[in-house]
Amino acid sequence: MDLSIPPDITFVVLTTITLLAAIMALQSKELIYGAISLAVSFIGIAGFFVSLDAPYLAMLQIAVYVGAVVVLILFTIMLVRRDEPDKDEMGESSEGAAGLWIAGLLAVSIAGIAALAGPSLPTTPATGNLPISQLGPVLAETYPVPLIILALLLSGALLGALVLAKVDR
Amino acid sequence: MSAALLGIGIYGLSVKRNAIRILFAVELIVNAANLNFVAFARYMNPSEVTGQVIVFYSIAAAAMEAAVGLALILVAFRLNSTIDVRKLNKLKG
Repeated sequence: MDLSIPPDITFVVLTTITLLAAIMALQSKELIYGAISLAVSFIGIAGFFVSLDAPYLAMLQIAVYVGAVVVLILFTIMLVRRDEPDKDEMGESSEGAAGLWIAGLLAVSIAGIAALAGPSLPTTPATGNLPISQLGPVLAETYPVPLIILALLLSGALLGALVLAKVDR
Repeated sequence: MSAALLGIGIYGLSVKRNAIRILFAVELIVNAANLNFVAFARYMNPSEVTGQVIVFYSIAAAAMEAAVGLALILVAFRLNSTIDVRKLNKLKG
Protein backbone atom coordinates (compact mmCIF):
# COMPACT_ATOMS: atom_id res chain seq x y z
CA MET A 1 0.00 0.00 0.00
CA ASP A 2 1.80 3.04 -1.18
CA LEU A 3 0.83 5.94 0.96
CA SER A 4 2.48 8.30 -1.49
CA ILE A 5 2.68 11.19 0.90
CA PRO A 6 6.30 11.38 1.88
CA PRO A 7 6.44 12.28 5.54
CA ASP A 8 8.65 15.24 6.06
CA ILE A 9 10.29 16.07 9.30
CA THR A 10 7.75 18.70 10.36
CA PHE A 11 4.90 16.28 10.07
CA VAL A 12 6.69 13.54 11.97
CA VAL A 13 7.72 15.83 14.81
CA LEU A 14 4.29 17.38 15.11
CA THR A 15 2.62 13.99 15.04
CA THR A 16 4.84 12.61 17.77
CA ILE A 17 4.34 15.60 20.02
CA THR A 18 0.59 15.76 19.58
CA LEU A 19 -0.09 12.07 19.99
CA LEU A 20 2.24 11.66 22.94
CA ALA A 21 0.70 14.66 24.64
CA ALA A 22 -2.78 13.31 23.97
CA ILE A 23 -1.95 9.97 25.55
CA MET A 24 -0.30 11.71 28.48
CA ALA A 25 -3.37 13.90 28.93
CA LEU A 26 -5.42 10.82 29.64
CA GLN A 27 -2.93 8.59 31.38
CA SER A 28 -0.90 10.87 33.60
CA LYS A 29 -1.09 10.19 37.30
CA GLU A 30 -1.76 13.74 38.27
CA LEU A 31 -4.73 15.57 36.83
CA ILE A 32 -2.83 18.83 36.44
CA TYR A 33 -0.12 17.17 34.38
CA GLY A 34 -2.87 15.84 32.20
CA ALA A 35 -4.26 19.31 31.70
CA ILE A 36 -0.84 20.66 30.72
CA SER A 37 -0.35 17.77 28.31
CA LEU A 38 -3.69 18.62 26.77
CA ALA A 39 -2.44 22.17 26.23
CA VAL A 40 0.70 20.79 24.55
CA SER A 41 -1.46 18.64 22.33
CA PHE A 42 -3.52 21.68 21.34
CA ILE A 43 -0.36 23.56 20.47
CA GLY A 44 0.66 20.62 18.32
CA ILE A 45 -2.63 20.83 16.46
CA ALA A 46 -2.04 24.55 15.96
CA GLY A 47 1.29 23.62 14.41
CA PHE A 48 -0.57 21.34 12.04
CA PHE A 49 -2.86 24.19 11.10
CA VAL A 50 0.13 26.36 10.28
CA SER A 51 1.62 23.66 8.09
CA LEU A 52 -1.75 23.38 6.35
CA ASP A 53 -1.81 27.07 5.42
CA ALA A 54 -4.28 28.12 8.07
CA PRO A 55 -2.35 30.54 10.26
CA TYR A 56 -5.45 32.38 11.36
CA LEU A 57 -6.98 29.18 12.61
CA ALA A 58 -3.76 28.30 14.36
CA MET A 59 -3.80 31.56 16.26
CA LEU A 60 -7.49 31.12 17.03
CA GLN A 61 -6.83 27.60 18.27
CA ILE A 62 -4.11 28.76 20.60
CA ALA A 63 -6.07 31.73 21.84
CA VAL A 64 -9.28 29.82 22.45
CA TYR A 65 -8.15 26.36 23.43
CA VAL A 66 -4.87 26.89 25.18
CA GLY A 67 -5.83 30.29 26.49
CA ALA A 68 -9.34 29.71 27.66
CA VAL A 69 -10.27 26.07 27.83
CA VAL A 70 -7.15 24.87 29.59
CA VAL A 71 -7.39 27.74 32.04
CA LEU A 72 -10.99 26.75 32.72
CA ILE A 73 -9.91 23.18 33.28
CA LEU A 74 -7.22 24.28 35.69
CA PHE A 75 -9.70 26.35 37.65
CA THR A 76 -12.13 23.49 37.82
CA ILE A 77 -9.42 21.14 39.02
CA MET A 78 -8.61 23.63 41.71
CA LEU A 79 -12.23 23.80 42.79
CA VAL A 80 -12.88 20.07 42.69
CA ARG A 81 -10.45 19.09 45.36
CA ARG A 82 -10.61 16.11 47.56
CA ASP A 83 -8.75 15.92 50.82
CA GLU A 84 -5.64 14.26 49.53
CA PRO A 85 -3.54 15.79 46.79
CA ASP A 86 -5.16 15.52 43.43
CA LYS A 87 -3.97 12.20 42.15
CA ASP A 88 -6.08 10.27 39.77
CA GLU A 89 -6.74 7.32 42.04
CA MET A 90 -9.89 6.39 40.27
CA GLY A 91 -7.90 4.91 37.48
CA GLU A 92 -9.91 3.15 34.89
CA SER A 93 -13.08 1.19 34.73
CA SER A 94 -12.89 -2.52 34.16
CA GLU A 95 -14.24 -2.24 30.67
CA GLY A 96 -10.89 -0.83 29.64
CA ALA A 97 -10.01 -3.64 27.29
CA ALA A 98 -13.22 -3.26 25.32
CA GLY A 99 -12.64 0.47 25.00
CA LEU A 100 -9.15 -0.11 23.72
CA TRP A 101 -10.34 -2.58 21.12
CA ILE A 102 -13.12 -0.32 19.89
CA ALA A 103 -10.87 2.70 19.66
CA GLY A 104 -8.13 0.74 17.95
CA LEU A 105 -10.50 -0.79 15.42
CA LEU A 106 -12.08 2.55 14.67
CA ALA A 107 -8.76 4.29 14.19
CA VAL A 108 -7.41 1.51 12.00
CA SER A 109 -10.53 1.42 9.85
CA ILE A 110 -10.52 5.16 9.32
CA ALA A 111 -6.85 5.17 8.49
CA GLY A 112 -7.43 2.23 6.17
CA ILE A 113 -10.17 4.04 4.31
CA ALA A 114 -7.95 7.07 3.98
CA ALA A 115 -5.09 4.98 2.68
CA LEU A 116 -7.26 3.15 0.19
CA ALA A 117 -8.75 6.35 -1.11
CA GLY A 118 -5.30 7.88 -0.98
CA PRO A 119 -4.19 7.41 -4.56
CA SER A 120 -7.22 9.27 -5.84
CA LEU A 121 -6.70 12.17 -3.48
CA PRO A 122 -4.29 14.91 -4.38
CA THR A 123 -0.98 13.98 -2.85
CA THR A 124 0.75 17.28 -3.08
CA PRO A 125 -1.34 20.22 -1.99
CA ALA A 126 -3.00 21.80 -4.96
CA THR A 127 -1.50 25.08 -5.89
CA GLY A 128 -3.54 28.10 -5.20
CA ASN A 129 -3.64 30.75 -2.63
CA LEU A 130 -5.71 30.59 0.47
CA PRO A 131 -6.06 34.27 1.12
CA ILE A 132 -6.52 34.80 4.80
CA SER A 133 -7.78 38.29 4.22
CA GLN A 134 -10.79 36.76 2.55
CA LEU A 135 -11.77 34.87 5.64
CA GLY A 136 -13.46 37.84 7.24
CA PRO A 137 -15.67 38.81 4.31
CA VAL A 138 -16.57 35.20 3.66
CA LEU A 139 -17.64 34.78 7.23
CA ALA A 140 -19.73 37.89 7.23
CA GLU A 141 -21.22 37.81 3.76
CA THR A 142 -21.65 34.21 2.79
CA TYR A 143 -22.49 32.83 6.19
CA PRO A 144 -24.08 35.55 8.25
CA VAL A 145 -26.73 33.34 9.81
CA PRO A 146 -24.33 30.92 11.50
CA LEU A 147 -22.38 33.89 12.79
CA ILE A 148 -25.42 35.30 14.54
CA ILE A 149 -26.44 31.91 15.82
CA LEU A 150 -22.94 31.44 17.16
CA ALA A 151 -23.15 34.73 19.01
CA LEU A 152 -26.46 33.72 20.57
CA LEU A 153 -25.06 30.34 21.52
CA LEU A 154 -22.08 31.98 23.14
CA SER A 155 -24.22 34.20 25.30
CA GLY A 156 -26.49 31.34 26.18
CA ALA A 157 -23.63 29.04 27.11
CA LEU A 158 -22.00 31.74 29.18
CA LEU A 159 -25.18 32.47 31.08
CA GLY A 160 -25.80 28.78 31.59
CA ALA A 161 -22.34 28.16 32.95
CA LEU A 162 -22.66 31.14 35.26
CA VAL A 163 -25.99 30.00 36.60
CA LEU A 164 -24.73 26.47 37.11
CA ALA A 165 -21.59 27.47 38.90
CA LYS A 166 -23.13 30.10 41.09
CA VAL A 167 -22.62 29.60 44.77
CA ASP A 168 -25.71 30.19 46.83
CA ARG A 169 -24.90 31.81 50.10
CA MET B 1 -3.12 11.44 12.08
CA SER B 2 -6.59 12.58 13.05
CA ALA B 3 -7.67 8.94 13.00
CA ALA B 4 -5.07 8.28 15.69
CA LEU B 5 -6.29 11.23 17.73
CA LEU B 6 -9.84 10.03 17.33
CA GLY B 7 -8.86 6.57 18.53
CA ILE B 8 -7.11 7.96 21.59
CA GLY B 9 -10.07 10.17 22.34
CA ILE B 10 -12.62 7.38 22.11
CA TYR B 11 -10.48 5.12 24.26
CA GLY B 12 -10.23 7.82 26.92
CA LEU B 13 -13.93 8.50 26.72
CA SER B 14 -14.91 4.92 27.37
CA VAL B 15 -12.32 4.01 29.97
CA LYS B 16 -11.62 6.86 32.30
CA ARG B 17 -13.75 7.36 35.35
CA ASN B 18 -12.62 10.85 36.28
CA ALA B 19 -15.14 13.21 34.76
CA ILE B 20 -12.48 15.78 33.90
CA ARG B 21 -10.46 13.21 31.97
CA ILE B 22 -13.55 12.40 30.02
CA LEU B 23 -13.76 16.06 29.09
CA PHE B 24 -10.15 15.86 27.90
CA ALA B 25 -11.10 12.97 25.66
CA VAL B 26 -14.03 14.86 24.17
CA GLU B 27 -11.82 17.83 23.35
CA LEU B 28 -9.31 15.53 21.69
CA ILE B 29 -12.01 14.05 19.49
CA VAL B 30 -13.20 17.50 18.44
CA ASN B 31 -9.66 18.52 17.63
CA ALA B 32 -9.20 15.43 15.52
CA ALA B 33 -12.28 16.37 13.49
CA ASN B 34 -11.03 19.95 13.12
CA LEU B 35 -7.71 18.71 11.83
CA ASN B 36 -9.53 16.63 9.26
CA PHE B 37 -11.54 19.60 8.09
CA VAL B 38 -8.51 21.81 7.66
CA ALA B 39 -6.53 19.11 5.91
CA PHE B 40 -9.29 18.41 3.45
CA ALA B 41 -9.85 22.11 2.81
CA ARG B 42 -6.19 22.49 2.06
CA TYR B 43 -5.77 19.48 -0.15
CA MET B 44 -8.97 19.61 -2.10
CA ASN B 45 -9.46 23.20 -3.10
CA PRO B 46 -7.13 25.67 -1.48
CA SER B 47 -8.84 28.75 -2.83
CA GLU B 48 -12.03 27.80 -1.09
CA VAL B 49 -12.15 28.80 2.49
CA THR B 50 -15.25 26.92 3.59
CA GLY B 51 -13.38 24.22 5.48
CA GLN B 52 -11.70 26.80 7.63
CA VAL B 53 -14.96 28.58 8.34
CA ILE B 54 -16.33 25.28 9.56
CA VAL B 55 -13.35 24.86 11.86
CA PHE B 56 -13.80 28.43 13.10
CA TYR B 57 -17.28 27.59 14.28
CA SER B 58 -16.19 24.21 15.53
CA ILE B 59 -13.52 25.74 17.77
CA ALA B 60 -15.97 28.23 19.19
CA ALA B 61 -18.69 25.63 19.75
CA ALA B 62 -16.29 23.19 21.39
CA ALA B 63 -14.98 25.86 23.71
CA MET B 64 -18.52 26.72 24.78
CA GLU B 65 -19.33 23.09 25.31
CA ALA B 66 -16.24 22.66 27.45
CA ALA B 67 -17.26 25.62 29.59
CA VAL B 68 -20.75 24.30 30.18
CA GLY B 69 -19.38 20.81 30.80
CA LEU B 70 -17.00 22.11 33.42
CA ALA B 71 -19.81 23.99 35.12
CA LEU B 72 -21.77 20.75 35.21
CA ILE B 73 -18.83 18.93 36.74
CA LEU B 74 -18.67 21.62 39.41
CA VAL B 75 -22.32 21.19 40.26
CA ALA B 76 -22.06 17.40 40.29
CA PHE B 77 -19.11 17.62 42.64
CA ARG B 78 -20.94 19.92 44.98
CA LEU B 79 -23.88 17.59 45.19
CA ASN B 80 -22.03 14.30 45.36
CA SER B 81 -18.52 15.05 46.60
CA THR B 82 -17.12 12.88 43.87
CA ILE B 83 -16.41 13.09 40.17
CA ASP B 84 -16.07 9.38 39.67
CA VAL B 85 -18.60 8.77 36.97
CA ARG B 86 -19.29 5.27 38.20
CA LYS B 87 -20.63 6.71 41.40
CA LEU B 88 -22.64 9.45 39.70
CA ASN B 89 -25.59 7.22 38.90
CA LYS B 90 -28.52 8.79 40.71
CA LEU B 91 -30.51 8.90 37.50
CA LYS B 92 -30.16 5.17 37.07
CA GLY B 93 -32.98 2.72 37.54
